[in-house]
Amino acid sequence: MAEPYLVIDNIKKEFPRRTEAPLRVIDGLDVGVEKGALLSILGPSGCGKSTLLNIINGLDDVTSGRIVINGHEVSVKSRSKLKIGVVFQDSRLLPWRTVKDNVRLPLDELGIDRAEADRRVTYYLNLVGLGDFGDYFPLRLSGGMQQRVSLARGLAIEPDLLLADEPFSALDEITARKLRQEFISIWRATGRTVIFVTHNIREAVFLSTRMLVITPRPARTHLDLDIDVPYPRTPEDDRLFEIEKRVTRDFIAMEEASV
Amino acid sequence: MKPTREPLGRSGDVRAGKAFPPAGVIDDPVAAAVQGELSAQPPLVVAPVSDAEVFTPPRRSLIGIWRRALSLVALVAVWALVALLFNDETVLPGPVDVFSTLWQNMQTSDFYFHMYKTVLRVVIGMLIAVFGGLVIGLIMGLSKWGEEILDSWVLVAFTIPSVVYGILAILWFGLNDFAAIVAISVTAIPAVAINIWQGVKAIDVSLVHMGKAFHFSRRSILRKVVVPQVIPYILAALRYALGSAWKIATVVELIGLSSGVGFMLHYWFGLFNMTQVLAWTVAFTIVLLLIEFVFLKPIESWLTRWRPANMQK
Repeated sequence: MAEPYLVIDNIKKEFPRRTEAPLRVIDGLDVGVEKGALLSILGPSGCGKSTLLNIINGLDDVTSGRIVINGHEVSVKSRSKLKIGVVFQDSRLLPWRTVKDNVRLPLDELGIDRAEADRRVTYYLNLVGLGDFGDYFPLRLSGGMQQRVSLARGLAIEPDLLLADEPFSALDEITARKLRQEFISIWRATGRTVIFVTHNIREAVFLSTRMLVITPRPARTHLDLDIDVPYPRTPEDDRLFEIEKRVTRDFIAMEEASV
Repeated sequence: MKPTREPLGRSGDVRAGKAFPPAGVIDDPVAAAVQGELSAQPPLVVAPVSDAEVFTPPRRSLIGIWRRALSLVALVAVWALVALLFNDETVLPGPVDVFSTLWQNMQTSDFYFHMYKTVLRVVIGMLIAVFGGLVIGLIMGLSKWGEEILDSWVLVAFTIPSVVYGILAILWFGLNDFAAIVAISVTAIPAVAINIWQGVKAIDVSLVHMGKAFHFSRRSILRKVVVPQVIPYILAALRYALGSAWKIATVVELIGLSSGVGFMLHYWFGLFNMTQVLAWTVAFTIVLLLIEFVFLKPIESWLTRWRPANMQK
């Protein structure tokens, strides 16, 4: 069988320390998903999540193992072959640039020509529902809207992989709930492969096609779960609720075992 | 952060109606993406937004201008009152005397010659100071190494009184414009550098991380993420440099040169003509205010137009 679109193959990461043994942050993670999947990674805080994201984004190298996206092995050196869009917990927009210019920023960096960049800025701003707000400055928008701009920015480079790092955790629950629904619609409309990192079990279950629960540091695969519930999903779906209950029980047991 | 208001009637939103794709259409997300990206049809909107979520800043009014004008008028009124109290024009001449003397001075070509000389020295000295200070401040803010080498220099240079620079410049370079410009720029550089240095340290690092996450080049991060954040500090430094450049210019002109506003102040001081001393001081103050309101303020409000206006209460 051919290799899946995104492969995380037994990766380990250690940080050397001066006097003690190296600090092992990731100790064997394995997962593989097909193109267009929404893989959520759920872990307790301090589980080496930012290290993992840096490695996937080619900002740091693994100690052993490998990550392959779309046939390219990820490393600090080979990163330029891949396009990876990032959505952060806070929107991280440049407040002195208009919404349009913020979405355009990574496109300019990739050397995409003007006409194509214009087209993409319009397309993705429309997609996130902000077509009429291109000339606004970010500080005039609400937190939820800023996060939509951030999502448009991540998508506009038409990435091989979209990394979402707890994108809704800083929003109030009502806004977050609405954005989760829309995130699914947008994801299904674009067909991007997404890695979605979160601490929120319900969010992970609701959104993803595949879910990876990782242990406290050093991070290992604790649970690897296919969530086989068709879209569009409703938050009240009993099947989702059953999965959530199971994962929650499991998660608590894991946390207690680690103390 | 202000709480987000939910749009009331979502079904009432026109965009929402045609926006949500019918559930059956995009069963295969990949195919839908290809279709969405390649076709020329108008893009689908999946996440409509209501206008209620937008924060609209109040319009700036003319009231600010009136307040400023009133406050200046009040200043002149206090001056007039105190002058009345002294009732002696060798101690404190009143505003009427001073402004009429200023008006008379403005009829002579000498006035413009001296004014031009000082403005020239101030502007050139200030520009050199801002450029030099910007370079030094950026080096100190961006590199640990640069900071360790330069911070003691800058602090020492900052503590030396400007008169010392004036005296040294005149002794070394003679009684000319060059000496004045050197003295002005050397005095103002440390303060500008300190401003920029602190400005670079205060930048929002999370934005730099954003740049790195999208793999921007170092050059792009510096140009597009760092420098724009330092702009308010550059403006503050520019203002400071302008104010201090004028003070140093006066000192240098007073101790050595034979032209400029400082020279005229020295001349009229020798004749104990208080009215002329104040007339020249007022003249230059007006020039500085003009520079502030004609150049600096408009530039500043343009560069910081992205800030909601009501952050200052």
